[in-house]
Amino acid sequence: MGAQMIRERLAFMSDGANEGPRRADHLSAAPAPPADATAEANELLRAVARGDEAAFTRLYDLVAPRVYGLARRVLRDPAQAEEVAQEVLVEVWRTAGRFDPARGSATAWVFTIAHRRAVDRVRSEQAGAERARRLAATQGETPYDEVVDQATTRLEQQQVRRCVQTLTGLQREAITLAYYGGYTYREVAELLGTALPTIKTRMRDGLIRLRDCLGVEVAA
Amino acid sequence: MSDVHALAGAYALHALSDIERAAFARHLAECESCAHEVAELRETAARLADGTWSVPPPRLRDNVLAEIRQTRQLPPAASERVARGAAPAAGGRRRRPLVVAAAAAVVLAAGAGTVSYVAQEQRVRDERATVAALRAESARVEAVLAASDARLHSAPVTGGGQITMVLSESLDGGVVMLSGARPPGAGRAYQLWAVSSGAPDSRGVLPSGEGGATRLIDRIRGMDTLGVTIEPSGGSAAPTEPLVASVPVES
Repeated sequence: MGAQMIRERLAFMSDGANEGPRRADHLSAAPAPPADATAEANELLRAVARGDEAAFTRLYDLVAPRVYGLARRVLRDPAQAEEVAQEVLVEVWRTAGRFDPARGSATAWVFTIAHRRAVDRVRSEQAGAERARRLAATQGETPYDEVVDQATTRLEQQQVRRCVQTLTGLQREAITLAYYGGYTYREVAELLGTALPTIKTRMRDGLIRLRDCLGVEVAA
Repeated sequence: MSDVHALAGAYALHALSDIERAAFARHLAECESCAHEVAELRETAARLADGTWSVPPPRLRDNVLAEIRQTRQLPPAASERVARGAAPAAGGRRRRPLVVAAAAAVVLAAGAGTVSYVAQEQRVRDERATVAALRAESARVEAVLAASDARLHSAPVTGGGQITMVLSESLDGGVVMLSGARPPGAGRAYQLWAVSSGAPDSRGVLPSGEGGATRLIDRIRGMDTLGVTIEPSGGSAAPTEPLVASVPVES
């Protein structure tokens, strides 16, 4: 892949991130999740698994802004983000019985489904993305650092942001391109002009560093 | 298997192709400590959603609540019922549901039309036909990926890209994925060949002009190598160009 193509792809990455002033409702900073919100979500999801619609409504209010926000971040298209968010939230209702608390928290389970769906959608819409990419490429280039900044400023005032800052540049770039951009590790390697094995390793050791910084634990 | 293990981060970030994902899930099923590491990395990756807060349109809430009232919930034991239909796994009963669940996840995504691999290449106009084709294709892909003897092989393609395949000797079939290869040019296409002692035998032609696609192939028993050439669209009876990739099948 030539340098020109990489620049085009990066320009596409920044498309949407540079769309100018956003409406206030999409700017609202996320409150740091209270410590007991995780426990509450676990309880709610267990109740949802028993068919409790009221519990689902409360769970919806707890997770929907992040499910929608994540879909929007990855897909960039509000209409598609809304569709994906709806699929994800109905999926949460449908498969709540499969949630296994021994494998992680309810919120992580929900956001894992949301991320997977958003990434699948962005990859299946590649024809559309190619169009958008070409469009974006004609509108000038964005330095790569800015793209990463755009991704990380969303994490403002949060523990996650502080921890992301402890990563090396390459760890941070690899993780944010994959997570927020929906790129495969092969694409990330191409985008960054870095060898595949290095990218694989940086994704893993970067996440391990984040895990330790955030104090994430899953019972063995 | 340390190379496979290094994919734990990419797996948790959903940064693998479907085939690699299925292959890694197989590895997970055989590796207790990896499963724990992946659970933690996935939990960590999910925290990256913390900063993506965005207020959804109010109609989303109404739509979701209306839809769940009409949506039947899956019972917790559903994964075991899926597992019953699968071929017995060599490693005993513990790993089977995991392997099947991973393959089923790939296939469920495909069935929902959200996975790109078949949808992109088929370009079938009639959506219903696409969905029907996807379901049939998915069932065969699932069978190959879930087979207890499924093996992953891959090789680089001359000029860029990668060819990856999962073969099952017992099912005499495989799933082949070409990714990131340069477009073969107008009126040209990548063609797959089973190479053994005799003449190369075609195993299918990828869509014209495409540098990435996924194909189910059959009759893989006895194949020494999967070869790839660039041929006129529609394919040739025998290779007319040098191989651009060759994936050895070591047993």
